[in-house]
Amino acid sequence: MSDSPNSATNGRIGYRYAEQMTPPEPERVTDVAITTHPHVFEVDPRLMERWVLQQQFPNWDSLRIMNSRADHLAWMHRHFAYSVVTGSELLAEVEAESSSGPGGEGPTGV
Amino acid sequence: MTLVAERLDELVTALRTVLRDEQILTSKPDRYNRARVPAPFPVHRWSERLPDLAVLPTSTEEVAGVVRIANELRVPVVPSDGGTGLTDGAVPLHGGIVLDVKRMNQIKELDLENRTVTVGTGINMLKLNEELARHGLFYPDDPASYPCSLVGGRIGTSGWSLIGARYGHTRDLVLSFDHVLPTGEVMHVGDGIGRKISKSSSGYQLKHLFMGHQGTLGVATEATLKLYPKPEAELSPFWAFDNYDDAYRCVGALARAGVATFAGAVLFDEWKVAYLRRDDEAYIPQPADVRALVCAVLYGYEDEVRVGGKRLFRIAKEHGARYLGDEISEGDWAARHDRYATPLHGRTKAGQVVPMSWHCEDAAVNYTNLPAVSKAWHEIVADLRRRTDVFDDWGMFAYTSADTGVDYLTEIDVGIWEQQLDDRAWEMWVKAKRDIAAVAIAHQGSISACHGSCREGEVDLVPEELGRGYGVMLDLKRTLDPNNIMNPGKYLLDQAYDGSQR
Amino acid sequence: MTQLDRQGTSDPVAVPFTPGMRDNPEELALIPDEIAREHVVPPSDDPTPTEQFTEQWRNASYNCFSSGHKFCREVCPVTQVTRNESWTPTAFHANVVAMDKGELTIEDVAADYVNCTQCGACELRCPNSLFTGDFYRFRTRTVDVVKAVRAFAVDSGVHQPQWRTWNARTDERTHEPVLGDTPVSQDHVRDWSEGLDIPIGGETVLFVDCEAAFYRTSVPRAVAQVLQLAGYEFGLMGEQWCCGGPAAEMGYVDQAKRFAQHNLDNWRSTGTRRVLVLDPHDYISFTEDYPKYFGDDYDIEVVLVVELFAQLIREGRLTPSVPIERSITYHDPCRLNKRKGIWKEPREILRAIPGLDFKDVDRVTQWSYCSGGGGGLPVEKPDLTAAISANRIQKASALEVDTLVSACPWSERPLGEAGRSESIDVVDIHELLAESLGIVVGGSRGGADGADPSRVETANDEPVGKRGE
Repeated sequence: MSDSPNSATNGRIGYRYAEQMTPPEPERVTDVAITTHPHVFEVDPRLMERWVLQQQFPNWDSLRIMNSRADHLAWMHRHFAYSVVTGSELLAEVEAESSSGPGGEGPTGV
Repeated sequence: MTLVAERLDELVTALRTVLRDEQILTSKPDRYNRARVPAPFPVHRWSERLPDLAVLPTSTEEVAGVVRIANELRVPVVPSDGGTGLTDGAVPLHGGIVLDVKRMNQIKELDLENRTVTVGTGINMLKLNEELARHGLFYPDDPASYPCSLVGGRIGTSGWSLIGARYGHTRDLVLSFDHVLPTGEVMHVGDGIGRKISKSSSGYQLKHLFMGHQGTLGVATEATLKLYPKPEAELSPFWAFDNYDDAYRCVGALARAGVATFAGAVLFDEWKVAYLRRDDEAYIPQPADVRALVCAVLYGYEDEVRVGGKRLFRIAKEHGARYLGDEISEGDWAARHDRYATPLHGRTKAGQVVPMSWHCEDAAVNYTNLPAVSKAWHEIVADLRRRTDVFDDWGMFAYTSADTGVDYLTEIDVGIWEQQLDDRAWEMWVKAKRDIAAVAIAHQGSISACHGSCREGEVDLVPEELGRGYGVMLDLKRTLDPNNIMNPGKYLLDQAYDGSQR
Repeated sequence: MTQLDRQGTSDPVAVPFTPGMRDNPEELALIPDEIAREHVVPPSDDPTPTEQFTEQWRNASYNCFSSGHKFCREVCPVTQVTRNESWTPTAFHANVVAMDKGELTIEDVAADYVNCTQCGACELRCPNSLFTGDFYRFRTRTVDVVKAVRAFAVDSGVHQPQWRTWNARTDERTHEPVLGDTPVSQDHVRDWSEGLDIPIGGETVLFVDCEAAFYRTSVPRAVAQVLQLAGYEFGLMGEQWCCGGPAAEMGYVDQAKRFAQHNLDNWRSTGTRRVLVLDPHDYISFTEDYPKYFGDDYDIEVVLVVELFAQLIREGRLTPSVPIERSITYHDPCRLNKRKGIWKEPREILRAIPGLDFKDVDRVTQWSYCSGGGGGLPVEKPDLTAAISANRIQKASALEVDTLVSACPWSERPLGEAGRSESIDVVDIHELLAESLGIVVGGSRGGADGADPSRVETANDEPVGKRGE
C-alpha cells in the first residue's frame, strides 16, 4: 500500500495552510496534460476555462485521491484472486525460449 | 404518474394490508429519485417518467402481495433493483408502482458441499463476494457495474460478465430463482424444478424466458447461484499495436487458442486510444505510434495460469504486440470492474472539457464483422459530432463473449452533454441509436449483447431482429400478464393488447 | 470476408483525434454548432434564493447526476442499513438538479438530507474522485453538497427539530449538550484535566472536543499524560468553545463561523501557533472549515495527535512496554481514513503495543464501515446511528475479537452501546497507548463504565437519543 498524504510535506506532520495551497511547479507531459506531484497527472488547465472551472484543491486532497486509487486497485486484485502473476516474467521466459530456437509447448493456435 | 388522487388513496390503502407504512414511499423526492438511471435523457422531461409511488418489500410474500394488488387494481408495476442498467428497464413509462427489491439482500443459505449460495435478489455481487471470500469461494458475475449492480437486475436483464469466457454469464451462473408472476403467483424456475440443478431435460427450458425480460414478466426475489473457488492467480497482460489490423488479428488468435484459464480479451480501437490519451494516466505518455490495444485476462491456479499465459504471450509476440508493462497491465485491469466513464471525459471538438453523460451502445457481433461494424458506427457518431458538440466519440471496445471467440460484445461509448440535450438533439440521438442497431442487424448480429434493447430508437428494430420470435413474445406476454401490469410500454409489448394504449 | 480498410477520409471529424492537441486541424474548432449554446437557461436579473443556490452547486451535482453509476451506494453507511434510494448520495445530488429545474423545492427535500453521516465514503469511492478527481482538480463533493443544502434549508426557515434545539443549546453554553439534561458549560470544560497540572495557553495548545471534554474524559486524560511523559510542551486553551463543526454540519453556518472566530481570536490572544487535535471531527473543522472562513489569514498549524504519537514512537520518545492482552481490531474513523487518507499511523501505534493480538481489516474494506456517529445523525435519528453501529460491531464480531479500538471519541459512544450486546469492548487508541506506557488514565469512558470510581464527571449521563426537551 502507498504512503499517507504526509509524504506531501516531506514527512513533516501537521497542516499548514500556505503549504497546502501551493502545488509543485507543473511540468508538461503532452499538449493536454501536465504533472505536478510525483505520479499525479493533471489536465492542462487551459482546457477547463470555459464550461467547467476547476475546484480549489489543497495538496493533501490530490495526494489522498492518488494514494486511495492505488490502494483501491490493489484491493480489487486481492478481491478477485489471491495473487497476481507478473506478465514481464512470462515475457522474459518466452523471449528466452524463442532465442534458444523453436520448440516449447506446441502450436500456438495462430 | 398516471393515477388520480382517489385511485392513489385506494392503492395505498390496499398496499397497507401487505406492507408497513415505512415501506410505502409517496413523496415527490421519493418518486423523482426512482425515475433516474444512468442512461442520458433530456433533464427537462424528467417528470414524464415518475412512478406514483415506490415500495420496499422485504420478502417474496410481500412482493407477491404487491403484485396481486396491482393486478387487481390494474396499476403498473416496474421492478427495480440497482437501477444501473443502460436500457431503462427500471424506468416507469406509465407511472404506477416502482417495486424496489434492494432490501431483500440477505444470504439465505450457503451450501459448501454443492457449492451454491441462495440470496435475496437485492444483494450486490461485490458485497456477496466479500462474504464468500471467508470460505475461499467466489461468484464470478462481473459487469462494469460490479460494485453497484445487484443480482435481481442481473437476472432481469440477463447480464453479461467481463470474465464470462471463463465462468459463463448471468444465465449460466444463476441456477434457479423464485419468481413472482404478473398475477402475483409465486413460481420457482430453474432447470427442471430443482433449486440446485445445473442441467435438466425435463419440460420446457423456462429459465431463459424469465431472464432478460426487463421486468415485463415479473420479479425474481430469491436466487440460487453457482459458486467457484476464489482464483489462486490472475494475469492481465496489456499489449500495444501500431495499427488496428494487427490488434484485431491478435485478439482473434488469443480467443481461438483454447486456453482453459482464458477469462476474456478486449480490443481497444484507434478512437478508444485517442480518447484515453485525454486523461488516462496509463495512456497519456504512450508514444504516438500506439494506435490500438489488446488485453487478455486469465484466472485459475498459478501453475495453469503461467502455462496459459506464456502461450498467449507467444501469440501476441507473433502479432507484433508490445507488452505495456506490469504496472499498466495490472492497474488497468483492476479498474475494469468499475469502469464507468466519468463526465469530465467530455470534450468539445476544440478541446474544452465539458461534463458529459456516458452512453454505451452495444451489440453482439461475430469476430469477422467487427471491423465493418466499428467503421459504420464511428461514421454515425461522426455525423452527430459534426453537427454539435453535444455528442462526443469515446471510442470502441470489443470484448470476447465466449471461450471460443465466436462473438464479441461490441460497444461504442458516446459522450452526451445532457445539460444541452434539447428536443432536437434528442431526436438526433434517437435516430442515431436506430442506425446503430440497424448496422448490428445488417451484419448478422444482435442489437444488444448485455444491456437489453428497450430504449427509444433501438427498440423499433427488435421485431425485425427477432422475426416470428417477436410474435411469440407478444403471445407469451398476453398469456402471462393478461392485464399488462408488468413494466408496460417496454419492448413495444403494449401491442399484445389489441393495440390499445394504456 | 473481414474488412480491414480503415483509411481514406480527409474529414477531420471522421478520424480518431484527441481534442485539445495543438497540431489538430484548426477546422475542428470552427465548425458551427447546431445545438450547444452559452446559456441553456438565460441567467435571471433577480434570482430567487433557490436559483442563487443551484447556480453555485449545479455543476458539482450535475457531475454525479450525469454519471448515475452509484458506486457510492454499497459503501454508504445509511444506504447499507436503510436500502432506500432516496437516502443515497446520488439522491442528494439529483435533488439539487431537480431544484435547479424547478421540479423540487427545499421544503420537499430538506428532511431527506438528515440521512448522512458526512463520512465521505461516497465521494472517495465515486469514480469522479477516485479515478479522475486529482486529474481534473474537480471531484465529487457530496459532503459539501449535504452541508450546503442543510444550510439552505436553515436559511429558508426549514428546521429539523432536534438539530435546532441542539444548536440553540450549543450557542447558549458554548459547548454541545453532550450530557443531555446535565448542563455543560465553560466552567467545566477543563474538568477532565483535574490533577494533571496543565498550563493555560502557550505556543502549543491541546484542543479537546465536546464529547471528550465532558463525556469520554478518559481520552483527553490519556492524551495529556502521554504528551507529558514524552516531555512534549503544551497548554490548554484560555477559553475553548466548541469548534463549530457540528453547527456547520447541520446547516447553522453563522453560528459555526462565530465559534470559529472566537477560537481563532483566543489562540491569538495566548500567542498560540500550533493546535493539537485528538478528535478527527475537529481536525476536519480546523483543516477544512477554518481555512474556508479565514483564507490566507489562517496561520495556525494543526497537528493530529495520532500522527504525533506515531512520530514520537518512531523517534524513540515513547516506548510502550506494558503488555496488553487483548484481541483487537481497529475501526478506521471515517474522517481520518476516508476524508483525510490517514490510516497508517494508528496501525503503527497499535503494532508498537506489546501483547495485542491485532486482527486488522484493511482501510479500503473499511471505506464501507462507519459508526453512524457523525454529521448530526445521532441527534436527529438515534435509531439509525444505532443500526449503523450494530452493523460495524457485527464486522468486528465476525473476527472473534474482544476489543474494537477507535481513534474517534464521537464513534465510541454508539459503538460502545452496540458492542455491549456482542461483548465487544470499545476502547480509544490513545487510552490503549497510555495503558501500555504504564499510565493510570482516570476519567470516564462515558455511560459504559458509570461505576468507575476514578471518573471526574459525576453527572447523570444520558445517551444522546434519550435527552429530554
